[in-house]
Amino acid sequence: MRLTDREINNVVILEPKGKIMGGPDASLLHDKLYELIENDKKKVVIDLGGVEWMNSTGLGILISSYTTLRNHQGELKLANVTDKIQSLLTITKLISVFEAHDSVEEAVNSFK
Amino acid sequence: MSACFFWSQYNMTKPIIKGDTIKVPSSPEFLPDVDGFLEGTLRGYGVDESAVADIAISVSELVNNAIVHGNKVSPHKMVTVRISRARKTVTVSVSDEGGGFDPTDVPNPLADENLLHEVGRGLFIVRSLMDKVDVQTTGTGTTVVITKAV
Repeated sequence: MRLTDREINNVVILEPKGKIMGGPDASLLHDKLYELIENDKKKVVIDLGGVEWMNSTGLGILISSYTTLRNHQGELKLANVTDKIQSLLTITKLISVFEAHDSVEEAVNSFK
Repeated sequence: MSACFFWSQYNMTKPIIKGDTIKVPSSPEFLPDVDGFLEGTLRGYGVDESAVADIAISVSELVNNAIVHGNKVSPHKMVTVRISRARKTVTVSVSDEGGGFDPTDVPNPLADENLLHEVGRGLFIVRSLMDKVDVQTTGTGTTVVITKAV
Protein backbone atom coordinates (compact mmCIF):
# COMPACT_ATOMS: atom_id res chain seq x y z
CA MET A 1 0.00 0.00 0.00
CA ARG A 2 1.16 3.51 -0.82
CA LEU A 3 -0.15 6.53 1.06
CA THR A 4 -0.36 10.14 -0.09
CA ASP A 5 -2.11 13.08 1.50
CA ARG A 6 -3.35 16.57 0.65
CA GLU A 7 -5.38 19.25 2.36
CA ILE A 8 -8.53 21.10 1.33
CA ASN A 9 -10.17 23.73 3.55
CA ASN A 10 -8.38 22.50 6.68
CA VAL A 11 -9.49 18.92 5.99
CA VAL A 12 -6.77 16.34 5.37
CA ILE A 13 -7.44 13.80 2.64
CA LEU A 14 -5.53 10.55 3.01
CA GLU A 15 -5.22 8.52 -0.19
CA PRO A 16 -4.15 4.92 0.28
CA LYS A 17 -3.45 3.09 -2.97
CA GLY A 18 -3.32 -0.64 -3.56
CA LYS A 19 -4.54 -3.43 -1.27
CA ILE A 20 -4.80 -3.15 2.50
CA MET A 21 -4.21 -6.68 3.76
CA GLY A 22 -1.84 -6.30 6.69
CA GLY A 23 1.88 -6.77 6.82
CA PRO A 24 4.41 -3.93 6.94
CA ASP A 25 2.09 -1.39 5.34
CA ALA A 26 -0.46 -1.72 8.11
CA SER A 27 1.24 0.89 10.26
CA LEU A 28 1.48 3.54 7.50
CA LEU A 29 -2.01 4.92 8.01
CA HIS A 30 -1.80 4.62 11.77
CA ASP A 31 1.51 6.52 11.95
CA LYS A 32 0.25 9.23 9.58
CA LEU A 33 -2.86 9.73 11.68
CA TYR A 34 -0.86 10.28 14.84
CA GLU A 35 1.33 12.76 13.00
CA LEU A 36 -1.79 14.69 11.97
CA ILE A 37 -3.18 14.70 15.49
CA GLU A 38 0.12 16.00 16.85
CA ASN A 39 -0.14 18.83 14.33
CA ASP A 40 -3.75 19.51 15.37
CA LYS A 41 -5.16 18.28 12.06
CA LYS A 42 -8.26 16.43 13.20
CA LYS A 43 -10.66 16.57 10.26
CA VAL A 44 -9.75 13.63 8.06
CA VAL A 45 -11.21 12.04 4.94
CA ILE A 46 -9.89 8.69 3.77
CA ASP A 47 -10.35 8.47 0.00
CA LEU A 48 -10.74 4.76 -0.73
CA GLY A 49 -11.07 5.17 -4.49
CA GLY A 50 -7.57 3.79 -5.03
CA VAL A 51 -7.95 0.77 -2.77
CA GLU A 52 -8.50 -2.38 -4.81
CA TRP A 53 -9.65 -4.34 -1.79
CA MET A 54 -9.06 -4.67 1.93
CA ASN A 55 -9.47 -7.47 4.42
CA SER A 56 -10.35 -7.41 8.12
CA THR A 57 -6.94 -5.94 8.92
CA GLY A 58 -7.83 -3.02 6.70
CA LEU A 59 -11.19 -2.67 8.41
CA GLY A 60 -9.37 -2.75 11.74
CA ILE A 61 -7.14 0.08 10.57
CA LEU A 62 -10.22 2.12 9.63
CA ILE A 63 -11.79 1.43 13.03
CA SER A 64 -8.58 2.33 14.83
CA SER A 65 -8.35 5.56 12.84
CA TYR A 66 -11.98 6.38 13.60
CA THR A 67 -11.68 5.80 17.36
CA THR A 68 -8.29 7.51 17.62
CA LEU A 69 -9.59 10.67 16.00
CA ARG A 70 -12.81 10.55 18.00
CA ASN A 71 -10.81 10.23 21.22
CA HIS A 72 -8.92 13.38 20.24
CA GLN A 73 -12.10 15.33 19.43
CA GLY A 74 -11.58 14.77 15.71
CA GLU A 75 -13.64 13.25 12.93
CA LEU A 76 -13.03 10.65 10.22
CA LYS A 77 -15.11 10.23 7.09
CA LEU A 78 -14.80 7.99 4.04
CA ALA A 79 -15.05 8.90 0.38
CA ASN A 80 -15.18 6.98 -2.93
CA VAL A 81 -15.93 3.65 -1.30
CA THR A 82 -15.73 0.96 -3.99
CA ASP A 83 -18.42 -1.69 -4.38
CA LYS A 84 -16.16 -4.40 -2.90
CA ILE A 85 -15.37 -2.36 0.22
CA GLN A 86 -19.00 -1.24 0.53
CA SER A 87 -19.95 -4.92 0.52
CA LEU A 88 -17.47 -5.66 3.31
CA LEU A 89 -18.67 -2.70 5.37
CA THR A 90 -22.23 -3.94 4.97
CA ILE A 91 -21.69 -7.58 5.88
CA THR A 92 -19.67 -6.57 8.97
CA LYS A 93 -22.27 -3.92 10.00
CA LEU A 94 -19.53 -1.30 9.92
CA ILE A 95 -21.64 0.61 7.43
CA SER A 96 -23.49 1.89 10.51
CA VAL A 97 -20.25 3.27 12.01
CA PHE A 98 -18.64 5.17 9.16
CA GLU A 99 -19.99 8.22 7.35
CA ALA A 100 -19.30 7.52 3.66
CA HIS A 101 -19.56 10.01 0.80
CA ASP A 102 -19.60 9.60 -2.96
CA SER A 103 -16.76 12.07 -3.47
CA VAL A 104 -13.95 13.78 -1.61
CA GLU A 105 -15.59 17.14 -2.28
CA GLU A 106 -18.83 16.00 -0.69
CA ALA A 107 -16.96 14.60 2.32
CA VAL A 108 -14.97 17.82 2.80
CA ASN A 109 -18.10 19.96 2.58
CA SER A 110 -19.84 17.81 5.19
CA PHE A 111 -17.50 18.96 7.94
CA LYS A 112 -19.06 21.74 10.00
CA MET B 1 16.74 -34.71 -6.06
CA SER B 2 13.90 -35.76 -3.80
CA ALA B 3 10.82 -33.72 -2.98
CA CYS B 4 11.96 -33.70 0.65
CA PHE B 5 15.12 -31.87 -0.34
CA PHE B 6 13.09 -29.40 -2.42
CA TRP B 7 11.07 -28.40 0.63
CA SER B 8 14.37 -27.74 2.36
CA GLN B 9 14.05 -27.04 6.03
CA TYR B 10 17.30 -25.08 5.73
CA ASN B 11 15.81 -22.24 3.71
CA MET B 12 12.91 -20.79 5.63
CA THR B 13 13.50 -17.14 4.90
CA LYS B 14 11.61 -16.81 1.64
CA PRO B 15 8.58 -18.22 -0.16
CA ILE B 16 8.81 -21.56 -1.87
CA ILE B 17 6.64 -22.17 -4.92
CA LYS B 18 6.06 -25.57 -6.47
CA GLY B 19 3.26 -26.02 -8.97
CA ASP B 20 0.00 -25.00 -7.39
CA THR B 21 1.45 -24.59 -3.91
CA ILE B 22 3.24 -21.79 -2.10
CA LYS B 23 4.85 -22.08 1.34
CA VAL B 24 5.81 -18.96 3.24
CA PRO B 25 7.56 -18.32 6.55
CA SER B 26 5.30 -17.09 9.31
CA SER B 27 5.71 -13.37 8.89
CA PRO B 28 3.17 -10.81 7.62
CA GLU B 29 5.81 -9.47 5.20
CA PHE B 30 5.06 -12.46 2.95
CA LEU B 31 1.35 -11.70 2.55
CA PRO B 32 1.95 -9.93 -0.80
CA ASP B 33 3.85 -12.99 -2.07
CA VAL B 34 0.89 -15.23 -1.34
CA ASP B 35 -1.52 -12.72 -2.87
CA GLY B 36 0.54 -12.34 -6.03
CA PHE B 37 0.82 -16.10 -6.50
CA LEU B 38 -2.86 -16.64 -5.79
CA GLU B 39 -4.23 -13.92 -8.04
CA GLY B 40 -1.91 -14.89 -10.87
CA THR B 41 -3.04 -18.49 -10.62
CA LEU B 42 -6.73 -17.55 -10.49
CA ARG B 43 -6.46 -15.28 -13.52
CA GLY B 44 -4.68 -18.10 -15.32
CA TYR B 45 -7.73 -20.26 -14.58
CA GLY B 46 -9.91 -17.53 -16.15
CA VAL B 47 -11.70 -16.61 -12.91
CA ASP B 48 -13.56 -13.27 -13.11
CA GLU B 49 -12.16 -10.31 -11.21
CA SER B 50 -14.89 -10.13 -8.58
CA ALA B 51 -14.33 -13.75 -7.61
CA VAL B 52 -10.56 -13.21 -7.69
CA ALA B 53 -10.98 -10.40 -5.15
CA ASP B 54 -13.31 -12.45 -2.91
CA ILE B 55 -10.93 -15.40 -2.90
CA ALA B 56 -7.89 -13.15 -2.40
CA ILE B 57 -9.53 -11.42 0.55
CA SER B 58 -10.48 -14.77 2.09
CA VAL B 59 -7.04 -16.30 1.62
CA SER B 60 -5.38 -13.21 3.10
CA GLU B 61 -7.58 -13.63 6.18
CA LEU B 62 -6.65 -17.29 6.54
CA VAL B 63 -2.94 -16.71 5.98
CA ASN B 64 -2.98 -13.87 8.52
CA ASN B 65 -4.67 -16.18 11.02
CA ALA B 66 -2.22 -19.00 10.27
CA ILE B 67 0.78 -16.70 10.76
CA VAL B 68 -0.43 -14.92 13.87
CA HIS B 69 -2.71 -17.35 15.70
CA GLY B 70 -1.60 -20.72 14.33
CA ASN B 71 2.16 -20.36 14.05
CA LYS B 72 2.53 -17.46 16.55
CA VAL B 73 4.73 -15.61 14.02
CA SER B 74 7.43 -18.22 14.54
CA PRO B 75 10.16 -18.02 11.87
CA HIS B 76 10.57 -21.80 12.02
CA LYS B 77 6.99 -22.57 11.06
CA MET B 78 5.53 -22.33 7.58
CA VAL B 79 2.13 -21.59 6.12
CA THR B 80 1.15 -23.66 3.08
CA VAL B 81 -1.37 -22.49 0.49
CA ARG B 82 -2.59 -24.89 -2.18
CA ILE B 83 -4.88 -23.93 -5.07
CA SER B 84 -6.92 -26.19 -7.34
CA ARG B 85 -9.70 -25.86 -9.87
CA ALA B 86 -12.53 -28.15 -10.80
CA ARG B 87 -14.90 -27.39 -13.66
CA LYS B 88 -17.11 -24.96 -11.74
CA THR B 89 -15.25 -24.33 -8.50
CA VAL B 90 -11.94 -23.14 -7.12
CA THR B 91 -10.61 -24.64 -3.90
CA VAL B 92 -7.86 -23.20 -1.73
CA SER B 93 -6.42 -24.77 1.39
CA VAL B 94 -4.37 -22.86 3.97
CA SER B 95 -2.41 -24.88 6.52
CA ASP B 96 -0.37 -23.93 9.55
CA GLU B 97 1.85 -25.89 11.96
CA GLY B 98 0.29 -24.64 15.14
CA GLY B 99 -1.58 -26.21 18.01
CA GLY B 100 -5.09 -26.06 16.60
CA PHE B 101 -8.08 -23.97 17.68
CA ASP B 102 -11.80 -24.17 18.34
CA PRO B 103 -13.59 -22.39 15.45
CA THR B 104 -16.71 -22.03 17.61
CA ASP B 105 -14.72 -20.09 20.19
CA VAL B 106 -14.64 -16.87 18.19
CA PRO B 107 -16.70 -13.91 19.44
CA ASN B 108 -19.53 -12.72 17.20
CA PRO B 109 -18.16 -9.67 15.34
CA LEU B 110 -21.69 -8.42 14.66
CA ALA B 111 -22.58 -8.09 18.33
CA ASP B 112 -22.92 -4.45 19.36
CA GLU B 113 -20.24 -4.78 22.02
CA ASN B 114 -17.75 -6.08 19.40
CA LEU B 115 -18.50 -3.70 16.54
CA LEU B 116 -15.59 -1.35 17.25
CA HIS B 117 -13.11 -4.14 17.96
CA GLU B 118 -10.17 -3.87 15.58
CA VAL B 119 -9.79 -7.64 15.22
CA GLY B 120 -11.98 -10.73 15.18
CA ARG B 121 -13.69 -10.51 11.77
CA GLY B 122 -11.44 -12.65 9.62
CA LEU B 123 -13.23 -16.00 9.74
CA PHE B 124 -16.63 -14.30 9.57
CA ILE B 125 -15.62 -12.55 6.35
CA VAL B 126 -14.33 -15.81 4.88
CA ARG B 127 -17.63 -17.56 5.64
CA SER B 128 -19.54 -14.64 4.07
CA LEU B 129 -17.53 -14.54 0.83
CA MET B 130 -16.98 -18.25 0.20
CA ASP B 131 -19.49 -20.95 -0.71
CA LYS B 132 -17.96 -23.59 1.54
CA VAL B 133 -15.53 -23.42 4.47
CA ASP B 134 -14.15 -26.53 6.13
CA VAL B 135 -11.90 -26.28 9.20
CA GLN B 136 -9.73 -29.30 10.01
CA THR B 137 -7.81 -28.74 13.23
CA THR B 138 -5.60 -30.96 15.38
CA GLY B 139 -2.92 -30.43 17.97
CA THR B 140 -0.26 -30.29 15.24
CA GLY B 141 -1.87 -27.86 12.87
CA THR B 142 -4.95 -26.44 11.23
CA THR B 143 -6.05 -26.59 7.60
CA VAL B 144 -8.91 -24.45 6.35
CA VAL B 145 -10.33 -25.41 2.96
CA ILE B 146 -12.42 -22.85 1.11
CA THR B 147 -14.41 -23.37 -2.06
CA LYS B 148 -16.02 -20.85 -4.38
CA ALA B 149 -18.17 -21.41 -7.43
CA VAL B 150 -16.66 -19.58 -10.39
